[in-house]
Amino acid sequence: MGSERAEEPIHIVYSDEENVLDEEERNSRLFEDLEPASWINDEDTDVTTFFHRVDSDQIIYEAKKKRCKMIGKYVMGDLLGEGSYGKVKEVLDSETLCRKAVKILKKRKLRRIPNGEQNVQREIVLLKKLQHPNVIGLLDVLVNDEKEKMYLVMEFCVGGLQDMLESTPKKRFPLWQAHGYFCQLMDGLQYLHSQRIIHKDIKPGNLLLTLSGILKISDLGVAEALDFFAEDDTCYTGQGSPAFQPPEIANGHEKFLGFKVDIWSSGVTLYNITTGLYPFEGDNIFRLFENIGKGEYVIPDEIENPLRDLLHGMLQKDANDRFTLQQIRQHPWFLRKPPQTLEEVPIPPLRGDELHNMTVLPYLMDYHYVEDPASGQPQYYTEHERNAWAERGEQDTYPTECYPREWADQLGDLKSKESSPKKFQDDVGYGNSNKYHGDDEMETIADSTKRKTKRRPTSCISVKKFPPCKQS
Amino acid sequence: MVSLPENMTPPLSCDNLGGVFGPDPTQYAMTSVLGQCCDDAGQVYLAVYLPTNTPIALKKFNMDKAKDEMDNIQNEIILTRQLRHPNVVVINAAFVLDNYICVVSPLMAFGSCRDLLNRHFTEGLPELAIAFILKDVLLALDYIHKKGYIHRAVRASHILINEYGQAVLSGLRYACRLVKNGRWQRNVHSFPSSTSRNLNWLSPELLEQNMQGYNEKSDMYSLGVTACELANGMAPFQDHPPTLMLTEKVRGFAPVLLDFTTCPQYSDTGQQNSNPNQAHGMPSDAINSGVGDSVGSNGNSLEGGGLASRRFTDHFHRFSELCLQRDPEHRPSAAQLLLHSFFKLPKRMNAPPLPQLLHPVIPLTKVVLGTESSEDFFGVADRLSDLDLNTCEWDF
Repeated sequence: MGSERAEEPIHIVYSDEENVLDEEERNSRLFEDLEPASWINDEDTDVTTFFHRVDSDQIIYEAKKKRCKMIGKYVMGDLLGEGSYGKVKEVLDSETLCRKAVKILKKRKLRRIPNGEQNVQREIVLLKKLQHPNVIGLLDVLVNDEKEKMYLVMEFCVGGLQDMLESTPKKRFPLWQAHGYFCQLMDGLQYLHSQRIIHKDIKPGNLLLTLSGILKISDLGVAEALDFFAEDDTCYTGQGSPAFQPPEIANGHEKFLGFKVDIWSSGVTLYNITTGLYPFEGDNIFRLFENIGKGEYVIPDEIENPLRDLLHGMLQKDANDRFTLQQIRQHPWFLRKPPQTLEEVPIPPLRGDELHNMTVLPYLMDYHYVEDPASGQPQYYTEHERNAWAERGEQDTYPTECYPREWADQLGDLKSKESSPKKFQDDVGYGNSNKYHGDDEMETIADSTKRKTKRRPTSCISVKKFPPCKQS
Repeated sequence: MVSLPENMTPPLSCDNLGGVFGPDPTQYAMTSVLGQCCDDAGQVYLAVYLPTNTPIALKKFNMDKAKDEMDNIQNEIILTRQLRHPNVVVINAAFVLDNYICVVSPLMAFGSCRDLLNRHFTEGLPELAIAFILKDVLLALDYIHKKGYIHRAVRASHILINEYGQAVLSGLRYACRLVKNGRWQRNVHSFPSSTSRNLNWLSPELLEQNMQGYNEKSDMYSLGVTACELANGMAPFQDHPPTLMLTEKVRGFAPVLLDFTTCPQYSDTGQQNSNPNQAHGMPSDAINSGVGDSVGSNGNSLEGGGLASRRFTDHFHRFSELCLQRDPEHRPSAAQLLLHSFFKLPKRMNAPPLPQLLHPVIPLTKVVLGTESSEDFFGVADRLSDLDLNTCEWDF
């Protein structure tokens, strides 16, 4: 999130997201030309000669232009989230106008993660053959060998259960809402298990919601497909999130029953979304696994019986005693929807936008209506203003990302400049990327003056060079 | 031109035209192709139901070609069978033959409105004919909405006209339910699948796909676009790439009925080449500076021609504007629109029935087909297939 902002310091204008370095890289490069700060200890050195005081209204940002960029037939939008493997961005299918999400995987990054490339390959193979309303659908896979990038086009989701929980004070859902999600989770899980797939990483963070409120089990990165001739669901590896792991994995058993792993994680998930707590905690992973290994936990008193019994059944230390999916589906709590008493927890806004509008629209507006991308008046604002917006609770909401205002501007522009909507030139064929030097990813900016210079991105502070420092 | 006998009245419902139809494939004799539908996965045939010697329309879907559409087709058959309204398409029988799904419907003698526009009325239908057609479509929409469905594909090719001049709404395979788990939803959010061909008719709120969602008022917007299509001869946004169509709608640019009041420059010079779609809501000097050039003219023969002399009534203009409002809350419901003054025009102007307004189009009636003797029938059918009918959209 932090590496992709809507603004850049004025001295550095890089429009190409390729140049955005990872957080670590940025930090490491940022200070590489600075000497170790040993001189600060010099008695006679006045610190102020090295660190100029810069008022927040003297740091000026230029609002980043929304340049339309396409990958195959998909128009790129803004960032939706960031996983360990790469970014997830919104895209729009330019032919069907259907919103989608794309997971961008960089091979360079994958190599650094243990089993990274393997996990991705496995996820693609698994997702391709799956089709169920409660399992995220993989719609398209694009590969750019030159850039060593892979794009997984998936169904669009507006948010995940984890973000919703975090947006509420008590970090939990009303029972009726949790019940709805749990039932869908069980439907999806039953399908996965029927396809001989063990998810191994069920948790609120991997349960996403579509605009229609349909729950989608996502992130099959560590899932395992059982061998077709396997006698039972015995597994040997577990890679999921620690807090959701069952005792058999926490205790380091060599082999364990796969389906029951998902049942346990679903139990922890149900515990979490109904109480706002975790059944097992620990200061570090060792403590946590120690606690899970003991299998002792308390359910808060406010959780009453049919649900209490279900949680106990799902969180049985011995996998053989743990409920099966069929037992869960026949459980009284599962069968009966709790009364809709408390107010529904909504999906929290994305960068201040409660409606979760298409983030691709501003790029399309720029593409179709701004006559000459270079001539557009650059917008400037200061650090001071930015802080003020942030204080007013418009966190991460900067002018470039405010739809209504932008449209109003665009409309005003159109009237005053008498500029006309531009059509896609016919030679910029959608998806017809072969014409473009086999480059799958291209910028569809009308004028050819696109900057490709690789500049080093820097934070706004480092822009201000320290002249005394340089000399020493 | 075969005119209707004076005393001939349309039947209450078009499903009692030919009595009972069986699902036995051998009882249907296909004669000629009427048109394509569903992206070439389906073909519409003129056929005869042999036991009663009744001409019918038979739609064949190739199950191998229409894999993605199978769910939609299945839903269409199930839904259509549940509906019963004189202005909603009827399915008499549906069966599987080899790798085809066959759907039997009454023959619509005038074909679809898109056919009429393509073949005879390239500059648009007469206003009174549109009033007749849209009134029937509104009756159908009112019925469908009250049943808890949103049609999501109202367009000229989904409006069929039978020999009595009744308009019948088809294309129900894109419909979705507004009632979920027994509860009437305020809004739904699902984006229709395989809807690429309908995009130009869809409402801005449906296309936006945000948390607001959309409801049955979305169909009213599509009806407004259809009104423009029927009046102008070509569908609005026809030459726009989908993404430009999207931004135009989101910004609130609505299509308009093209006559000299909406495009005044035609009456002056008659040679301006800017796109009339852009004219609405733009300062007039912007138009004269050739703003619309890059959008491209659509090659419609209206330009500089019939447009200068044509004038739609204010009633019609107001009707389309009501439908095409950006905010769905402001759009009237189907029931409210049925009371609009536009629909009082035919009576006030003493309009003849629709078949006469469509003169010189010859409907495919029994009389024309001469089904009295089946030999003649096949003869006519052969002649029909010589005609250039394959290009027509008979999408129902």
